[in-house]
This record gives sequence, structure tokens and C-alpha cells, in this order.
Amino acid sequence: MRPPTSLKKEFLKKWIMGLQLCSSSKKEMSFLERKKAIKLSADVAMASARNATTRWSRALISNASKDDSNKGLVECILGPESESLKRASMSLVLCNKRNRSKKILRKSCSIRRARKSSSQMVMASSIAKRLVKKRTQVLKSLVPGGGSMSEFSLIEETLDYILSLRAQVDVMRHLANATELLNRK
Amino acid sequence: MERIAGTGGRSGSTGGEKEEIGAESFLFGEEIQRLMTGPPENGSSFTALLGLPANQAMELLHSQESDTAPAELSGEAWRDNHMNPHKLYYCSPTFPANTTLIDRAARFSVFAAGENSPETSSVPSNSSHKVKNEPTDTDSNPNSLPPLISNPTVENKNQRSTKRKEREKKAKGSTKKCKNASNETSEEAEKLPYVHVRARRGQATDSHSLAERARREKINARMKLLQELVPGCNKISGTALVLDEIISHVQSLQRQVEFLSMRLAAVNPRIDFNLDSLLAPESGSLVDSNFPSMVMPLMWPDVQANENRQPYQQLWNDDTLHQPVWGREEDDPHNFIAPEHSLLSYDSSANSGSLQSNQLKMEL
Repeated sequence: MRPPTSLKKEFLKKWIMGLQLCSSSKKEMSFLERKKAIKLSADVAMASARNATTRWSRALISNASKDDSNKGLVECILGPESESLKRASMSLVLCNKRNRSKKILRKSCSIRRARKSSSQMVMASSIAKRLVKKRTQVLKSLVPGGGSMSEFSLIEETLDYILSLRAQVDVMRHLANATELLNRK
Repeated sequence: MERIAGTGGRSGSTGGEKEEIGAESFLFGEEIQRLMTGPPENGSSFTALLGLPANQAMELLHSQESDTAPAELSGEAWRDNHMNPHKLYYCSPTFPANTTLIDRAARFSVFAAGENSPETSSVPSNSSHKVKNEPTDTDSNPNSLPPLISNPTVENKNQRSTKRKEREKKAKGSTKKCKNASNETSEEAEKLPYVHVRARRGQATDSHSLAERARREKINARMKLLQELVPGCNKISGTALVLDEIISHVQSLQRQVEFLSMRLAAVNPRIDFNLDSLLAPESGSLVDSNFPSMVMPLMWPDVQANENRQPYQQLWNDDTLHQPVWGREEDDPHNFIAPEHSLLSYDSSANSGSLQSNQLKMEL
């Protein structure tokens, strides 16, 4: 993992680029539009700053490029490596589909198994396991692209995602502070 | 009864020496000799008391083995043998084990414990083990060599093939008592560790459980890392709670991003951010030095072009983190700051003063 400062720099660079693109493409924006554009560019910049080596960033990029209006922005932010990235994220989408079908199969299997084991006594450990499972589901929904991850990779991705989010929040806060100070003057 | 007590005492004394003898087999001979000198008169008195000669007892035992005799009878026979300690010394060292005998031995030990004093029940575990004198057999020291116990299969294989031999030997006068006792000890000693080992072995050899365990360990290690990363998570134990904490942390971070983008949108009527103007208030040390240090490399090439760059270079070189970015920027500066993007371009000479102050601050 790269040191956080270089990650922040990378992110800032890409983010500013994306913002410029947004502003150049659209002159007049409402507040909500602006907010959306800022957030999107920040997210994509973060994902591309992570070099798309992680699954969450790839999933984020593929999600962002699904929308046609965002496609140009995503491509610009990603820059020269956009082609390979997109290919990677497309394969991820395919993989998602495959995983989904697998999941359905597994679910039906587990239902069958659950019926069989429901006659047994409900153990405390099984309750704990269910709690953990529920939380894992929530975490999967939080981390982009988490639906297709195994438990182990989910934890790793969450680690990376938290670090990146922190860097993102840090940079954004600094920028917001600076802008506010500037406006006050 | 007092004789039984005597045997019990003997068993105690021999049991005390069990460890040394178990380790060194040649001590057995010495031990046997000591026993030989000691108890024979005891044995003769036993036989006299019971009025049952050794041969008779032998015959009784033999008949029992061929056609399964009632338990009481065999038990009595066993006790008879037990009362005749001198028979012990006829035991051949290579005497094989027998499943039926093992069975009987187990049953007899129960009888003995019930009918006699509690000391006799302790006899088989201690004294017979000693008395048995089987240096070649691994059964002889089950306690000292637990891993070797796992060869009852070999023993079992031997059992059938050597059964006839065994009978012949018995006819010669090898005592059942010895065998009983020896088998019993091996059985008794085997029981606990063997079951234990088997459980462990089953656990270990099961590839699924092994893989599962490895996976769980991996996940736990990652969880530890996450726990360290997320604030306030170190003291919590329990996967579910830790996951709760992680979820709330991720959610809060995501909400912060949302909020900050909102704030930025509210602050700026236009979506672009002029870094030039942003730097000006920061050089006045209003914002902590983290941000300028991040922004600085972005404008570095332009400054480079106009300025005497030696001191700055020195300063940047100190911080190795900045180096790669700088190098790449020199390669293709249009990557991020192009002149046509006039929003980010600026008069570098105007910035040099603020830069200098920043550098000084960082140096301090």
C-alpha cells in the first residue's frame, strides 16, 4: 500500500482535473447538481488514485461509467489507463452476474439445509453466527462491489476502502476549509 | 486380607520405581530378582491357604478359555492366580496379547475391586506393570511411551497367529495372572491417551476442517488489523460487535464525504477551485501545513521554471514522498496543469513569497 500522503496528492490531482472538466462542460449548475458532480468526481478520482488494483475501486468506476452522462468524466479522470480499467471493471460486472447466479443456488441450498437443521436445538453459537452474517451483509452493501466478495476479500477491501475514504475526507475537508477562508476574506 | 495388603504394599514400592524402569529395560531384571527373593514364601502360604495348587488353577483357566466359563468362576480363578505371586515369574517376556483375555482382565479387575480391598484394585495398574517384565513389548511401558501405544493393530495381528503358541506356553505354566495384569495395564493406559490421540488425529487429518481453520485464522488476522484501524474498536471483543463498529465507521466516513461535497457545493458558486487563490490564505498559516504540502507539488514545475530552484530542490529532496510525483510532472507537465486550463495557472512569481514562507514553516 502506498503511503497516504502520495495517495492524497494523487487524489487531489485527479479530483481537481475532474472538477475542471465538470465546470467546463456545464457552466450553470444548481446546488444539487454541483454537489453531485463534486461527489462523483471525488469518488472516481479516489478510485483511480487507488490504481484500480482493488475491487471496490473497480466496482465504483464501473458503477459510475454505467451512467452515460458520467462516462466522459470518468474517462477523463482515468486518463490513459482508462481502457484497461474499463475492461477490468466490465469483467467485474460479468463476474458479478455469475456470482449472483451462484448465490441464488447457494441460497436455495442453505434453505434446504436450514429446514433440516431447524429441528435441532438452536445453539448460542448459531445465533452468533447469524448476527455476524447479518452484519457482513450490511458491510457488503456499504463497500462498493462488496456483493461479489468472499468474506476474506471483503475484510481486505474494507480495510483499503476505509483508508481511502479517510484520505478522501481529509483532502476534501482541507479544500473546504481553504475555500471558506478564501470566501470570507 | 493382610496378605492382600502386603501385595498392595509391594505394588506401591514397585510402582514408585516404575518410571526409571520404564525408561531402562535392563533394570527389570534387577527388579525381578528383588521380587523373587521377597514374595515366594508369601506365595506358598497363599497356595497353602487356598488349598489350590498352581496346576489346578492352570487347568481351570485353560478350560475357561476354550469354553467361555461363567464370570464368577473365572474371576475366582483369577484371584487364585493373584494369590500366587510366584507364578508371575514364569511369564515369558514375549507373551502376546489376546482380546478375550483382555476382556476378561477388564471384568476381573472389577471383581477384584469389589471383593477385595481397594488396594488390590490398584495392583494391576502399578505392580503388574512392573512384574510383567516385557522389555521387547511396547505395551510394557504405556505411560512412559504414549505414542507407541498406537500399535494395538499390530498387536491384534499377532494375536490370532500366536494364539496356539500361547496355549502351549500356558501349558508350560506361564501364568495367566501376568498376562491378565499386563493386558489390563496396557488396556487401562491405552484407554485415555488413545481416545485423546484419535480425536486429535481425526481433527488434524480432516482436510476440510484444516482448510476451514486456516481460513478462519486468516480472517481473524485481518479482523485484528481492521480493529486496529477503526478507532475505539480495540477493546471490543466479539466479531459481531467489531463488525458493528466497522460498519458505523464506514458509514460515518461516507456521510462525511457526502457532507463535505455538499459543503463545497454550497461554498462555491462555481464548481472549480482555484488553487492559486486557495494557497494565499494558507500561506498565512491559517490552515495546517498538511494541505499546502499536498498542493505544493502541483505548482512546482512552474516555480521551477522561473526561480532559483536549488534551495527548494534540496527541501523537496528531504521529503522522499514528493520525489516521484515531481519527477513525473517534469516528464509531462500537461498532465495536470496545462496553460489552456487557465483556472489553475497562476503567476508563479507572486507565489514565490508564500512558497518560501511555507518552506520555512515546514522546515521548522
